[in-house]
Amino acid sequence: MSSQSRLTLAFPSDVKHVDLLHTLSDTVSGEVGFTEDQALNLALAVREAAINAVKHGNALDARKKVIVSFEFGGPDVVVTVEDRGTGFDPEKTPDPTRPENLHRASGRGFLLMKSFVDEVDVLPRPGGGNIVRLVKHAPGSGNGA
Amino acid sequence: MRAKLRTVGDAAVLALSGRIAIGIGDSQLTDTVSRLLDGGARRIVVDLQKVSYMDSSGLGALVACRRTAEGQGVPLVLLRPTGKVHDLLQLTGLTQLFRVYEDEGESLARE
Repeated sequence: MSSQSRLTLAFPSDVKHVDLLHTLSDTVSGEVGFTEDQALNLALAVREAAINAVKHGNALDARKKVIVSFEFGGPDVVVTVEDRGTGFDPEKTPDPTRPENLHRASGRGFLLMKSFVDEVDVLPRPGGGNIVRLVKHAPGSGNGA
Repeated sequence: MRAKLRTVGDAAVLALSGRIAIGIGDSQLTDTVSRLLDGGARRIVVDLQKVSYMDSSGLGALVACRRTAEGQGVPLVLLRPTGKVHDLLQLTGLTQLFRVYEDEGESLARE
């Protein structure tokens, strides 16, 4: 595949849409030739970014949209997840693997994102909110996908 | 997520299958464990062999179930996590929190 493609989905802040994103992620993974495990890794990272945007970014406010874009066809698959929230600093997220945090029922999403793609950036969204940018190297990109 | 329940003495063996993720089994799992505790289970074994993956909500539900059970003095242990689920438990450090068994007989034995 040589041409760059971009798919964008906007949805209200409801976690029921996360499965649709997972399906879309799987479709993109099929297009770029990810293995089953690589595809699941990308989908899990996308799920976590979307859950974060819906629950913590937009605080489940259905009037606020989450916008997700997949760019693929080049050396990387790049997924951006935008919310309209007040922002968060991933550096301030407690390490969920520390013994004192293991019993907590939440706080593992960012760890999963970082573990399952090659790059994760959290950027301020112009006009307010966050953009989480996930990068996963495509097979044959020379980046060791 | 699907759940099949067996009882072995006063222990409940909850065999899960499919995925445990946000809106797909996370609350079902906590509800099921609460019912087992209300029903008098004295040990809960969660068999993960046929679970394909979990997201952070699924992992969180498992942690919440353990906390509820242990709060009532009921051990909740894991059996046969495989593939991605095993990786997720390792990655998140939850293998330090849960007792994890590969053999059902051992999972049912009292410490």
